[in-house]
Amino acid sequence: MSTPALDGTRAEGQGETVRVVIVDDHAIFRSGLKADLDPRVIVVGEAGTVEQAIEVIARTRPEVVLLDVHLPGGLGGGGREVIAGSAALLGATKFLALSVSDAAEDVVAVIRAGARGYVTKTISGTEITDAVFRVAGGDAVFSPRLAGFVLDAFGTAPADIADDELDKLSARELEVMRLIARGYSYKEVAKELFISIKTVETHVSAVLRKLQLSSRHELTKWAAERRLL
Amino acid sequence: MTTVPVRPPLVRSSDRMIAGVCSGLSAHLGWPVRMVRLGMAVAALAGGAGFVFYAWLWIMVPTADEAARRNARRPASPIAPAVSGPAVDSRPGSSPPVGGPTIPSATADAQLQPATFPSAMYDAGPSFQPTAAGAAPFTAGAAPGTASASAAGTGAWFRVRSMRYGKEILLGSGLLLVAGILIARLLGADVPLGTLIPAAAILGGAAIAWMQLDETRRAGLVDKTKADQAGGWARLAAGLALVVAGVLVMVSGSGSWEQTWLALLASVAVLGGVALVLLPWGLKFWRDLETERAGRVRETERAEIAAHLHDSVLQTLALIQRRAGNEHDVVRLARAQERELRGWLFKDPAKESGQLSDRIKAAAAEVEDGLGNAVDVVSVGDTVMTDRHEALVQASREAMLNASRHGGGPVSVYLEVSDGGVEVFVKDRGTGFELHTVPEDRLGVRESIIGRMKRHGGTADINSSPDGTEVRLRLPAAAAENGEGKP
Repeated sequence: MSTPALDGTRAEGQGETVRVVIVDDHAIFRSGLKADLDPRVIVVGEAGTVEQAIEVIARTRPEVVLLDVHLPGGLGGGGREVIAGSAALLGATKFLALSVSDAAEDVVAVIRAGARGYVTKTISGTEITDAVFRVAGGDAVFSPRLAGFVLDAFGTAPADIADDELDKLSARELEVMRLIARGYSYKEVAKELFISIKTVETHVSAVLRKLQLSSRHELTKWAAERRLL
Repeated sequence: MTTVPVRPPLVRSSDRMIAGVCSGLSAHLGWPVRMVRLGMAVAALAGGAGFVFYAWLWIMVPTADEAARRNARRPASPIAPAVSGPAVDSRPGSSPPVGGPTIPSATADAQLQPATFPSAMYDAGPSFQPTAAGAAPFTAGAAPGTASASAAGTGAWFRVRSMRYGKEILLGSGLLLVAGILIARLLGADVPLGTLIPAAAILGGAAIAWMQLDETRRAGLVDKTKADQAGGWARLAAGLALVVAGVLVMVSGSGSWEQTWLALLASVAVLGGVALVLLPWGLKFWRDLETERAGRVRETERAEIAAHLHDSVLQTLALIQRRAGNEHDVVRLARAQERELRGWLFKDPAKESGQLSDRIKAAAAEVEDGLGNAVDVVSVGDTVMTDRHEALVQASREAMLNASRHGGGPVSVYLEVSDGGVEVFVKDRGTGFELHTVPEDRLGVRESIIGRMKRHGGTADINSSPDGTEVRLRLPAAAAENGEGKP
């Protein structure tokens, strides 16, 4: 799946390096991903199970963890459990969810646990590298599909103007999400809405925060219903 | 027969004082629960009849939960809904479980089916009329027919029907017979009660036991619950007791109560001893049977999965190995296979297709297979297809074809269904084009996309730049279908 939102538009981060840990239970995928990543991305550790992952992350303290949603071990919680187990590091270490699954409940669950973004495993090495730098810089990474999930979960009607509650997206946030779902990159979104890329990133981060913190009934209900699909 | 009132199934309610029998009974009969409770209490004073009745219902009537669980098709494995869904439906015995009088699903089943088999009703009815003796062979004889795999629909209907009224007719004719005999005696006729009673007891007991056997075997094909087994055991024991008592009286021929009681006690003691000895064996045998059955189910599922993987994934992998040199082909094969496998794993057979998002996804898959460029669909909301949506799907498909052909890269499709209407966005990252430079005779864009949308009251915008092209299709909700937008 292409993720045009990640087209290397970040100015900062060039020339710097990022230390990452790859957590995935398939060794073939880990080595393939390592080979695909940019040399600026330094892989400091790998793990294949929940327990290993928590241990490796605590030991190496990477800036970014590339985390598979489905993992063996632990209590069966997969990537969510790894994030929960590394809660103490959550400020310094950012999690980017990687998944072969398109299932909404998997993705939303791991985002709500604290991941800063989600990309599918089929995206290219360049795109993943961009996503890693973006997440390391504190921004959120939304693929079109994740934006679609968000729109589905929060509904497509905007909140009232002075309404900053967590249960609804503002009109501007909705616009940004819609454009991302349509396949626009952050740069294209900025151009389309006549705002700066920084503002787009702020909106996306706000949406991520709402997705993580909203306790609204519909969100859980929606996730539960998705399980039936 | 057709005028049976529709009642809620008799189940033990969760709104309960003791075991939920009274409130369940009141719901079933449509009486106020207070009256039922009062009646039960009064009956309890009358020599404990109420107690006995209450206990009997407690044992025999399932709770609402149990009944629901029994009616539900329980998947045997996490992916069973996908794997065995349709297969379960086509199997003859797997419509809601078979029932004696305590099993509510029979009502629903019988209501669903009768129109299809009008004549069978009358065929089945009279066979039960004569006596208990007549009924027993009939039931036994019906078993092979109902259990046979061929007559799926008829079997289900017939079974439910016969079980549902068989009991009542049997009981009624038995009581009529007794009444007739009593009247005959009152009128002075000499009825040989000494042989008639034990004979009736034997026949009745055998009938109860046989019907039980018949039922458990059928139920065993479908479903098993503890409640069923408990009820079954009780019925078996009752049948056994009747037969034993009848045989004893007949053999001893005395008719003296003291002697009969003693003999009865002795034989029951012997039977109990035998049962005690055989019980562990029986249990072990039962467990082995259960294990084997579960194993067989797993085996069937495994075989089904293996067959599917062989037909799809292994074939694709073989193809991929042969074309390893051609990256384009490999990606295309892999994506097509991925889509197929996802569809197989996660599809819900109960969910009706004919949703707009399914059609858009199908069109995207078609374009992807045809041209080899990935077409990713993100959909928000969904709606049922109509003729107007059909036009939208066709226009979207045309847009995807153009995007894939001229864009030369991945295509993003976004579908949003809201109360106001449906929007489809098709975006590529090609070099773009100018609409007015497209020759007049090229109908792709002008006719198939813009013209089609206009004819159906929608709009189509094309926004092209050197960074890519986006086609925006919009179909406002028609007045008649307002409100059926988002599910």
